[in-house]
Formats: sequence, structure tokens, C-alpha cells
Amino acid sequence: MPDILFVKAALPRAGALVLPLAEGFTLSGLAQEADAACGGAVARGLEAAGFKGRKGQSCTLWAPGGHLSRIVAVGLGGRPDAESARQAGGTALPLIASEPEATIAAEGLNAELTAALAFGARLRGYRFDKYRTREKPEDKPKLVRLSLASAEPAAAKAAFQPLSAVADGVSLTRDLVSEPPNVLYPEEMAERCRALEKLGVTVEILGPKELGRLGFGALLGVSMGSAREPRMVVMQWKGAAAEAQPVAFIGKGVTFDTGGISIKPAGGMEDMKYDMAGAGTVIGLMAALAGRKAKVNAVGLVGLVENMPSGTAQRPGDVVRSYSGQTIEVINTDAEGRLVLADVLWYARERFRPRFMVDLATLTGAIVVALGHEHAGMFSNDDALAQQLSAAGTATGEAVWRMPLGEAYDKLIKSDIADMKNVGGRPGGSISAAQFLQRFIDTREGHVAWAHLDIAGTAWATKDSALTPKGATAFGVRLLDRLVADHYEG
Amino acid sequence: MPGLVLAAGPAPGGPGGTGRGAGKDAGKDDGADAAAAWERAGAAGIAALPEGETRAVLDATALTPEEAVAFATGAVLGARRAGLRLDLLHPAPDAVLPLWHAAWAVAQGVALARGLVAAPANVLTPKAFGQRLKALERHGIAVHLLGRKRLRQAGFGGLLAVGQGSANPPRLAVLRWAGRIAAPPVVFVGKGITFDTGGISLKPAAGMEHMRADMAGAAACAGAMLALALRDSPAPAAAVLALAENAIGAAAYRPGDVVATLSGRTVEVIDTDAEGRLVLADALNYAVRAFRPEAVVDLATLTGAAITALGHHRAALFGNDPPLGAMLCAAGEAVGERLWPMPIGEAHRDDLRSDIADLRQCAPGGGQPDACHAAAFLREFLGDTPPAWAHVDMAGQARRPPGEPEGASGFGVRLLDRLVALRFEDPHRR
Repeated sequence: MPDILFVKAALPRAGALVLPLAEGFTLSGLAQEADAACGGAVARGLEAAGFKGRKGQSCTLWAPGGHLSRIVAVGLGGRPDAESARQAGGTALPLIASEPEATIAAEGLNAELTAALAFGARLRGYRFDKYRTREKPEDKPKLVRLSLASAEPAAAKAAFQPLSAVADGVSLTRDLVSEPPNVLYPEEMAERCRALEKLGVTVEILGPKELGRLGFGALLGVSMGSAREPRMVVMQWKGAAAEAQPVAFIGKGVTFDTGGISIKPAGGMEDMKYDMAGAGTVIGLMAALAGRKAKVNAVGLVGLVENMPSGTAQRPGDVVRSYSGQTIEVINTDAEGRLVLADVLWYARERFRPRFMVDLATLTGAIVVALGHEHAGMFSNDDALAQQLSAAGTATGEAVWRMPLGEAYDKLIKSDIADMKNVGGRPGGSISAAQFLQRFIDTREGHVAWAHLDIAGTAWATKDSALTPKGATAFGVRLLDRLVADHYEG
Repeated sequence: MPGLVLAAGPAPGGPGGTGRGAGKDAGKDDGADAAAAWERAGAAGIAALPEGETRAVLDATALTPEEAVAFATGAVLGARRAGLRLDLLHPAPDAVLPLWHAAWAVAQGVALARGLVAAPANVLTPKAFGQRLKALERHGIAVHLLGRKRLRQAGFGGLLAVGQGSANPPRLAVLRWAGRIAAPPVVFVGKGITFDTGGISLKPAAGMEHMRADMAGAAACAGAMLALALRDSPAPAAAVLALAENAIGAAAYRPGDVVATLSGRTVEVIDTDAEGRLVLADALNYAVRAFRPEAVVDLATLTGAAITALGHHRAALFGNDPPLGAMLCAAGEAVGERLWPMPIGEAHRDDLRSDIADLRQCAPGGGQPDACHAAAFLREFLGDTPPAWAHVDMAGQARRPPGEPEGASGFGVRLLDRLVALRFEDPHRR
């Protein structure tokens, strides 16, 4: 990623100039100066290209004159806001990535929108290229310095600081999710959580011995087919008064999911490296909260296992005893995520008594059939929390859609031999999975606000979008950071 | 459906079951409203009757008239056998009777829908479906049927394409109930595929017999019209039912065909088993043009994706008008035909871009989310100034849910009837 600087507005003497323009724009400020320096080429070029400033629109003018190598106009839409500024920054980035230096002319925008432009560029500029050993230099991005020309550079820089921490969290999540499964297995993933210690996060790692002693029968059952040991990582960020009740985030971290004995079809199985995206998101989120010194007590817990078929693997028909004491009949070893979450959810609730719990998991294929890739499925036992999440989703563009829970769906996971079974059939498959999790939330001790985000359709993108190059999206980091920022700080 | 006799006084002794015992837990239902609980109690009581029983007494002496009617409704809808006489005992039959009249009307509508869904596909062809609808004229419903020739003249390209593989040609049925309020009607649009083989994109053999129920949306619309007529609803209503058989044959339409629909929009066929949205496209467009309706609600057993998403306990609700959607949800909760709102996203519409036509009918390769795609597709056919529209994908609701005895549910009749009662019967609304 390039260095991001906030500077006083002045026409750059070289490189690329980015003009964020709203609908109905007239060229002013740096845009006007650039136009004058290029003999009116900007106005003419934009007119000829039919550039109107619409959201998502962009237009590149090559070698326009005035020593600039290119001018890139990006649309801010009808009414510029943080969302459209982020999008514009993201849209601009690939268009300037082959220039060593670029300047975004943001002097007409306030500090918040200027920071949002930088944030968008930063998110879109993510790249995971550590395993490309023969990439030609001309194919690599060259941008080393991205300057935001601002009327109030100090204020814009201050506004960018927390966003930069969130972007760091997003990048961390994307790194974790992108890593191949031979490199990133439970032990390694847990070790990478240690990086959060330098941000002030307390990191505890529990191995198979401790988990066995606690009685994590459901999690350990999933793990037992793999040569890799399981881990649970507990991360704590204390940004508020010591006695303040924390908020809790729980992530599914299956570093590779073969399906186990109920093995998956071969086609597309490589995607199962991202079956730890829920955990990866929780880790990135904790980094974001700590990085921006959020005034909240937050805990993040991730259950890390590898789901493999082998002579020691769990079988369909097995009955396991979860940490909660409830027994589970394993019908399908490929419905393993809920088994891992069951123990971690119960532990999180018991140990931390949180204000709310949000879990993230690439849990079901059924949610992709239901909602596709535009929304994550949200299940909640608490209308207020659900509304807060929906609003945060709208604000960040990480959209969630609420799905139902209810008695009729809970009946689908009745077992003949145990307290419940781990699948309820394909009809309503995401809902019965959520019902399963809910059995580890609501207890006789009372209600805790809880939401489950099924991110199976949103954790990975097969094509580029304004803020996300194709690949790991880190869906949920910005959403949950926003949830905390809007409702749970101070 | 059994007959019901209202009687005053305490329950007689002697042979015959009584529905009372089953109602004992009704009041304790977790938060659901009491009427629904009494309805379930009535159904449970009847289900407990021994086989071959010809008469039963429903002891509602301790219930309010509303509860008594709910109890009786549950019993009547739950009975599913002929030759059974039910006596409802209540201390104030005069108070029960007018309420029962409306409930009975709706039960008749449900019975009509169930009968249509249950009819095998060799018996219930599009033509036979149309003839059965004709019989509704004696209840004051105007029924107009369009055959292949008229459909061709009018340009129903979607409906004709789906029907062209079958020896049983398609029909469009238009039902009208005038009501008494001078307002544009609410229009129900129903998918009526009398049998769905999938066409050239043939379905697997296992379970194909259930595809005779692929006309349950149309059946529900017809049942709702009958209910409105029998209870003499003041609201004007209409139903547009697209009736066709999706057969495989030498003349069948193909994946890759481009079809000009009634709206003028051209559609690239990707999968001939996504036929429901093609017939609905024409029916919706016709409904909007012919009636300039205040609201359009379509019902269809449309996608397997809706079942995967919501299972058998809730149907998927899509639409363009949140108040109409909220009202439908409320109606569904009230009558136990429950819905859940689902999104139509920008990406869902984008997925329907075609290289050769105005849009394609679904995403290739079984692309998901198909229920959302289908809804995004249908939205394109509402005309230039779309009315309030709701689309109910009831693929998981046409038959009774797993765990209950086999049979047609009649889902949708009570939903639409209640929607009309809640929203369209007040002449001074707005």
C-alpha cells in the first residue's frame, strides 16, 4: 500500500490527479486550475466522455498536459456522503495504481469526506501477492504516495486515523482469509493473533489439553480427524472502565473444511480455505477496535479447527457432549461449524456475561441460495440489536438481511437419541443452523442479546467491487466496528 | 368438507367424539393470538376422531363467539373427509351465526383450492381448470377464458411458449368480483402450471408426481375469489390465472429461445423449468393493463430456492410497496399462513442481463439466489407506472408440511381473503 498523506491544496507537478466530482458539478479549485493548465482539456474531455459524476462512474484523461500523466474523474453521486466518497476513492485506486504518485483533489470536501476518500482507496488497494514469485514488474502496482489535497489537511488526517486502524483490521482479516490452508492451520492462526498484543490486546491461547479439561466435546469432535491440533483464542480489549460489561464477538475458524467423513464434492473444494472467515473477521475487528482505541470493552473468541476425514475422524451417528452439557447427535460431519461455535458461544457467555454476542460464520450453503452475495443472513433474538446491525450495514455497505427464527424451525433439529442433532435438512437449512446456535445462547439464566451472521455468501468475492478486490472481503469488520462506534462506546 | 350444525345447550351424551379435550392447552400458546390457538385446537380435536366416525360434537359452550368460530374453523378445515357432520354447541348461536357465515365462506374457498391442487394432472388440464372456474359464475363471479388463438392475437408470448410443448393448450382465466366500492380492484395473479415436467430442462424422476401441485398459486387465487363472493365482500377484486402444462415434446420451447412477452420485453430462456416466471410475466402485465389495479399480489409455487431459504413454515414475500408487504405479513400471521420478507437487490437484477434479449429469465448454471432472481424478473413486467405489488413464493407451502398427513394445504386463500378484509373493504380508506 502507498503512503497516504494529507496536504495543502496545490496542483501537483507530475503524476496522476484524481477529481472527485458530484452530479451537476462545475470545475472549481484544483479541477479548474488543472483545466486551465491543460488548456481546457479537462472540461472538454469529461464532456466528450459523457462523465456526469454519477456514483461508480469514472473517466480517465491521458496525458492531458500540464506535466500530469493522467487525470481521473470519479463520480460522487447526487449528494456526496461518506459512503459515496469511500466508493469514489475505491473506484479511483485501480485507475492510478500504475503511477508512482497521485493526488486526490479533495479541497472542496470536508475533512470527513476527505478521510472517507482515502479510506476507500486504502481498502481497494489491498493486494495479496506473497506467493507470486514471477510477477513482472509492470504488472505490479507502482503507487507509493497518495496525497489528498485538502483545505484542512490536519483535520482530515485526524479523521483518517481511526479509519486507518479499521483498514489495518480489514487487511489483517483479508490476509488470514487469503492464506492457503497448508500455511494457515489452527496453531498458526492462533499464533498470528499474538500480533494484536502490540495493540494492547490480551491474547490467551487454549490448546487441546485445556479444551479437553474444559469439556469442549463438540469442538474437539470436529478436530479429531485432523493431524493439526485445535485452538481457541480469547482476545480482550479493555478500552472502557474495568468493570464495564464487554461486548463479545465469536468466530468460526475452520481453517480447512473437507466436510470430514461426510466429504464434500471435489469441485470448488479449494474455496473451503475461507471457512475460517468468521474467525478471521473477529481477529481483524479486534485489531480495528484496539487500533483506534475504541472506548469499549470487547472480547473476541475464535474456535480454530481443521475438519478432515481420516481413521480418527468423527463419524455420522456419533454423539458428542458439548461444553454446555447438552448432547449432540452428529448426523453430518460437514455441519461442523455449529459444533465449534456451540462450545465457544457457551464459554463466552459463561465467562464474560457480555452485553451482547455477535457470531460470524461461513455456516451454510443455504444462505447463498436464500440471499446470494449482496446480504449476509442475520438471525437474532433481540430486535434492538438486529436494528442496530441493519443500520450499521446500510451505513457501511456491508448489508445484512434479517431471517426468521421460531419454534417450528427449532423442531427440525430434534434428535431421537440426543438433545439435538446437528442438521435439520435442506429446507430452511440456514434457519435450523441458527436455531442450533440459539440453544447455546438462551438458557435458564436468562436472555442475552445475540445475533448470528451467516457470511457464507459474503466472505469471498469472485469479482472486484469498488472497495474490495476479488478474493477475501473481510465482510463484517467495518460493519461491527460501526455497530460498536454508534452504540457501545462511552 | 364436513357440514357444521350450530346448536344451543350442553353437549349430548352418547356416541360421537367431542372436540373439547383437545382445546385445553389452547389458551397457553406462546404469544400467538388466541383465535389461532383455538383453531389449532379444533383441528387437533378432529384429527383425534376415530376413522369412520360420521358425527362429532364441538363443545364450545365455554368459549366466546369468536373463539367458537375459530374452534369450528379449525375443525372444518382439519377434517378433510366427506360424510362427517359436526355440531357446534354454543349458548348463543345467534351471536355465532353471522361470524360463522364469513368463516364458512373462506373455508369453501380453501376447499376449492385444495380440490384443485389435489386433482391429478391428467384430469385437471388447463382446459378443465378453466371449466371448473366457469362454475364460479353461479356465485356472481364473472369468468372470462382466453384460449390459444386469443392469446396469440394478444401476444401472450411467455404463456404460449411454456404451453407449446403440451397437447393440452394453455388458457388465461380472468375472474372478476364487482364488490360495492367504486375503486380499482385488487388483483390476484396466480401461477397455474397444471403439471410441470420441467420441459426440455427435465426434472429428475423422483418426486415429480408432486408437480401436479404447481398450480397451487392459481388455485389459491380462485379460492380467495370464491371466499370474497360467498361472504359478499364489498371490495372489488379480480384474479388473472395463467394456466398451462409444461410438457416435454417435439414442439416444446428450448433453452436459448428468445420469447417476446405481452409487455413487449424480450426474454432469453435459460432453463425451461423456470417456466412459472414466464407465464406470470404475461399474467402480471395483463393484470396491470386491464385493471389499472390499486394493488397486485401474485402467488406462485415458484422456486426451490424459497424452500431452501425458509423451509415449509414461511413463504417468501417480495414486493415494491412496504405497506402492502406489511399488511400481507400481518394477514399471514393472523390466519397462520406466515410469510417472511426477502430482498430484491441490485445485483439480483444485474444477474438477469442478457446478451441477446432485454433480459434473461434466470441466472445460468442454476445460479443463486433464484427466488430473488425470479422476483427481480417479475418486477420488470409491472408496466411503466407500477402499482403496489407483492409476490408470494409459496413453493414450500402448496402441500401440507412434512410430518403432517399428505395433502393439499389450500395455502394462500385465507391470506388473500384476510388481506382484502384488512386493507380493501373500507370505502373511506386513504
